Amino acid sequence: MAAIAAERYTGASIKRSEDPRILTGAGRYVDDIKLPEMLHAAFVRSPLAHAHVVSVDVSAARALPGVVAVFTGAELEEITVPGPDALMALIGGEGPTPEFTLLASDKVRFAGDPVAIVIAESRYVAEDGCELVEVEYDDLPPVTNASFALDPGSPPLFANLGDNIARPHSRSESGDVAATFAEADRVFDFRIGVHRHQNVPMEGRGCVASYDADRDFMTVHAATQSVHVTKIAVAMRLGMEQDKVRVVAGDIGGSFGLKIGASREELATAAASRALRRPVKWVEDRGENLTTSGQAREESFDVQAAVSNDGDLLGLDVKMVIDTGAYPGLGVTVPATVEEMLPGPYKLAALGFESTAVTTNKATYVAYRGPWASETFVRERILDLIAKDLGLDPLQIRLRNVAPRTDPPAVMITGRPLAGVTSKESLERIAELVDFPAFRRRQAEARAQGHYLGIGMATFIEAAPGPRPPGGPSGPLGTESMRLRLTEDGIVALFTGQMPHGQSHQTTLAQIAADEFGVPFEQVRVVVGDTDVVPFGLTGGSRSATMTGGVALHGARQLKAKVLDLASHLMEASVRDLQITDGNVAVRGDPASAIPVGEVARRAASGEFGPDVDANLEVEAAFDGGEGGWSGGTHCAIVDVDVETGIVSVERYVVAEDCGALINPAIVDGQIRGGVAQGIGAVLLERTAYDEDGNCQSATFMDYLVPTACDVPRIEIEHLETVALDADVNFRGVGEGGMIVAPPTIVNAIEDALSPFGVRIYEQHLPPARILELIAAAG
Amino acid sequence: MKLPPVDYEAPTTVPEAVELLAEHEDEASVLAGGQSLIPLLALRLAHPAVLIDINGIAELSGVSAANGTVTIGAMTREYVAEESGTVADAVPLLAAALPLIGHEAIRSRGTIGGSLAHADPAAELPAVALALNAEFVVRGRPGERVVPAAEWFEGYLTTSRRPDELLVEVRFPAAGRGTGSSFHEVARRHGDFAIVGLATSLTLSEGAISDARLAFAGISDVPVRAADAEDLLVGERPSAELFDEAARRATEDIDPPADLHGSADYRRKVAAALVRRGLQAAADNADERQ
Amino acid sequence: MVDIALTVNGTARTGSPEARMTLADFLRDDLNLTGTHLGCEHGVCGACTVIVDGRAVRSCLMLAVQAAGSEVTTIEGLAPGDGLGTLQQAMWDSHSFQCGFCTPGMVMQATAFLSDHPDADEQQIREALSGNICRCTGYQSIVDGVLLAVARAASSDPAAPPNASPDPTAPPYRER
Repeated sequence: MAAIAAERYTGASIKRSEDPRILTGAGRYVDDIKLPEMLHAAFVRSPLAHAHVVSVDVSAARALPGVVAVFTGAELEEITVPGPDALMALIGGEGPTPEFTLLASDKVRFAGDPVAIVIAESRYVAEDGCELVEVEYDDLPPVTNASFALDPGSPPLFANLGDNIARPHSRSESGDVAATFAEADRVFDFRIGVHRHQNVPMEGRGCVASYDADRDFMTVHAATQSVHVTKIAVAMRLGMEQDKVRVVAGDIGGSFGLKIGASREELATAAASRALRRPVKWVEDRGENLTTSGQAREESFDVQAAVSNDGDLLGLDVKMVIDTGAYPGLGVTVPATVEEMLPGPYKLAALGFESTAVTTNKATYVAYRGPWASETFVRERILDLIAKDLGLDPLQIRLRNVAPRTDPPAVMITGRPLAGVTSKESLERIAELVDFPAFRRRQAEARAQGHYLGIGMATFIEAAPGPRPPGGPSGPLGTESMRLRLTEDGIVALFTGQMPHGQSHQTTLAQIAADEFGVPFEQVRVVVGDTDVVPFGLTGGSRSATMTGGVALHGARQLKAKVLDLASHLMEASVRDLQITDGNVAVRGDPASAIPVGEVARRAASGEFGPDVDANLEVEAAFDGGEGGWSGGTHCAIVDVDVETGIVSVERYVVAEDCGALINPAIVDGQIRGGVAQGIGAVLLERTAYDEDGNCQSATFMDYLVPTACDVPRIEIEHLETVALDADVNFRGVGEGGMIVAPPTIVNAIEDALSPFGVRIYEQHLPPARILELIAAAG
Repeated sequence: MKLPPVDYEAPTTVPEAVELLAEHEDEASVLAGGQSLIPLLALRLAHPAVLIDINGIAELSGVSAANGTVTIGAMTREYVAEESGTVADAVPLLAAALPLIGHEAIRSRGTIGGSLAHADPAAELPAVALALNAEFVVRGRPGERVVPAAEWFEGYLTTSRRPDELLVEVRFPAAGRGTGSSFHEVARRHGDFAIVGLATSLTLSEGAISDARLAFAGISDVPVRAADAEDLLVGERPSAELFDEAARRATEDIDPPADLHGSADYRRKVAAALVRRGLQAAADNADERQ
Repeated sequence: MVDIALTVNGTARTGSPEARMTLADFLRDDLNLTGTHLGCEHGVCGACTVIVDGRAVRSCLMLAVQAAGSEVTTIEGLAPGDGLGTLQQAMWDSHSFQCGFCTPGMVMQATAFLSDHPDADEQQIREALSGNICRCTGYQSIVDGVLLAVARAASSDPAAPPNASPDPTAPPYRER
């Protein structure tokens, strides 16, 4: 068959290798896995947000035909090892660590907290069994909001913490905060809140854990962003040596930060498999996903802004409170990143930042696409509020404050240099793509007819991966590894710890390697999803474009050098005179000399070369990000607000973005649009709602609303010319940007639409009822 | 989210179904389209002992018109009613509401009778039936009963169908000359349940309103006729001022529920907006039907 | 248990599901057709969409026993052999999907819609797909794929429905 005819794959919208199976129902997701003797798990979950567990009676459940076993929280404790969350152990964290068990045993701490696991012949019977488990609870007052959690009188969720402070108050300052505020013409005071919302991948959490008693070996079929982190989590909690655990993953139906490490339920499933010596499957249903898998973004900010009369944003003093829910994990680390990123691409001279993290009786705060995103929301919201007060327009105040690109680059007051940042260009490009004066005329005419249109913009940068750190990259994620091998079939195999769940790595990494090595796209195979086979890696933080794209490029280059070296012996030519094109090694200018690369590999494997020749056509490559770089841009939206019903529709959405060199433009655009859709969802539709008793009220898709094809407009995307910082690797990450900057873009547009009413907005969730409340309150 | 254990019966005639209902009464749920019932079972909010699946009773499907009445069998799929020329011509209010019910795949299975027997106050069909004074024909062991719409909807998800009765058909009056209809709703997204919905029917005769029907969805635990507003409208000529006054009358005494999607006050405001918009649209349509 | 016989993807199949088993679970677990996905199990997300007797249906809202005697088409049965139908090919060419979990339901819903509305425009397509949730793409690429299928079906053979044999002018699909 004809190979894809493209001279250069990188930069082209090559069709995805993933799609033939995706489009025909041949993808293999964790719920598609069936193993012999496999059992199914379901969880008994607390209906109460905060209570002591007095007793758990599983006798009726155990007696139900088809139920094979039931384990309570206490019983699981006996067969597992206590320990922290694996992701937290990986990224580190200071502060007190609450102690908790896999399943709740002494206490339940949020409505939905798992109390027992029922294992049965089918999920149907397992759920029947759950209904038969009787749990006696002793109610405790629930802590359902941050201000109560801050109150030392609130009942502590964790006895060993003593209060509900998950990460104690801290303050730090960058620049001279006191002087900046003292010298400012104006000091503004704002209170800005972001509401609780969540990942909602179309596939929930789940795994099939399969314990082989004969070999004392655990295999976990997982849905995860890193097979290695999941393996560490499983080995740790089961008290198994790491080489006795293997984690494999096939296709994954999205994650957006949710599926990292292993959740308590997945670990309980693995423990059950070992106890029963049979495979056990647990796949969460949508109710579990919405109420128990984890939630994000519930943060509040008291912001003081030091401003000049001309609109210079001189300094910020910010107090942040983050509601990390029960069983705090990643949430406690978010404030540090918020602080670091708050200045954005602007010339901020001083930043005071305080934060406190509290625990509450709600599901745990988890990573959700751009976990630090509130920094962009707060900053871009207050720029508009300040602009309105000073009579400036949103574009002008941003252009005034954005740091110009200098050499050496401007440095954020929190430390990172703004190398290669094109924020100013993105603002200017938006002004070209969107005719603001024409819009203002149309807006005025519409207002005269009682029709309210608005325009808003927001600018952001994202450390994807960010500029090279001064001391060099550090930590397990500071370097990306890849193993590359040329097989005897002429396949260039890339073994990577990346775990795509929509990122299309099997296509993008193959594009890079094919170009660099010199084989057709079809001759590259990207291997993922098996801890026995791939090096450590994690897909997240928008890192893969730079880190994995970079290691694929450099690794392919190293492998090619090895192959050419070997070929030079085979072909009795100098390496200088050889090239690899279209899968063949040939002497330049002599096409008849061409040998397929597979032939070279076969000759290497045959042993015909002596000990002086390196015939091992495999390399272990590592890449530390090179010079790194920023992603970023400016988004702009036009909205139409029906002031009688509060319904907002997004009429137009324009993106001017810089994410470095594009590997595959269609894939990049897809990532941006998906992120923007989630941002639109956050503002107009999505809210995780708890009542004052801690009951989750957004427990089905009838109440937790995500955007549909009628809610997301065509999103126009322009890619800016990027500044190359590195000699080879200028791909930058794009996964999270859309979700980071879309919420303030939309909120800014809504406030603009409602400005005739004098509305000012200090929050992110604006459902129709809220729109009418804001109009009524301002009047 | 798996359904709980349940027994299953699949009668093929109405008498069989009636016998089963008489035998099981409240322990039985009638399975028609399943688009409302099956989610309730999946969420384990309902635990009937037996499902009586009436999909196999062929005589329950069909749309026919005679003597100014359009009769729709209870098992008539919503998409069939949507595609029916008879419904489009003779019951334009129903034709206006049907495309707003969920999504196409829901209407593939959902039934006219099922929706009306389920009686979700935020659904479109109950408001339509109430607006048009439809008649509900139920059959039990003693025989057949005809219940007017005003007596059908008793409470939240509760109708006057007795546990031993099966809804077999719904009768809609054919729209007369000069009748215009509209169904307007405010929903969070296309295809969602209405936060507030309004079924409107106006009949114009020589430029004046001779008949006015306004029935709300979503402002109570049952669909509600805006009787005061209807009285105001009859005899008057359509105008924006009249419609504003009708909106005021229709909403001043309502006490809508509050939930995640809207406060009581929000629903009241939206209801008023829908009255203005619904009346204008119906008046425009009425002109076309003269 | 209720014995049922039905046709799935053109093949006669039988089974003995419990009455409470949904058609979605029957297809996935008893017939090993795991292409149909469970996204919510309460009829809102559309991931489980299949075609029953010519109509798009949420298979999580049908009992398996209700499909007795019916003709069911799932994503696995959409295109002949190893190939792709016109719609699938157009979606491949349009980079319609990312994680793929919503894909089978989207493709089945679009297929059913296009067979009744072969000339659909963008707004109609968006409304038709508004009951299928995708969390990855923001929908534009999916809509573009459907529009491309509409255009190709119109140009190559007006009489052929969009889910017929693969478009011969598109680059070949290569099994890896």
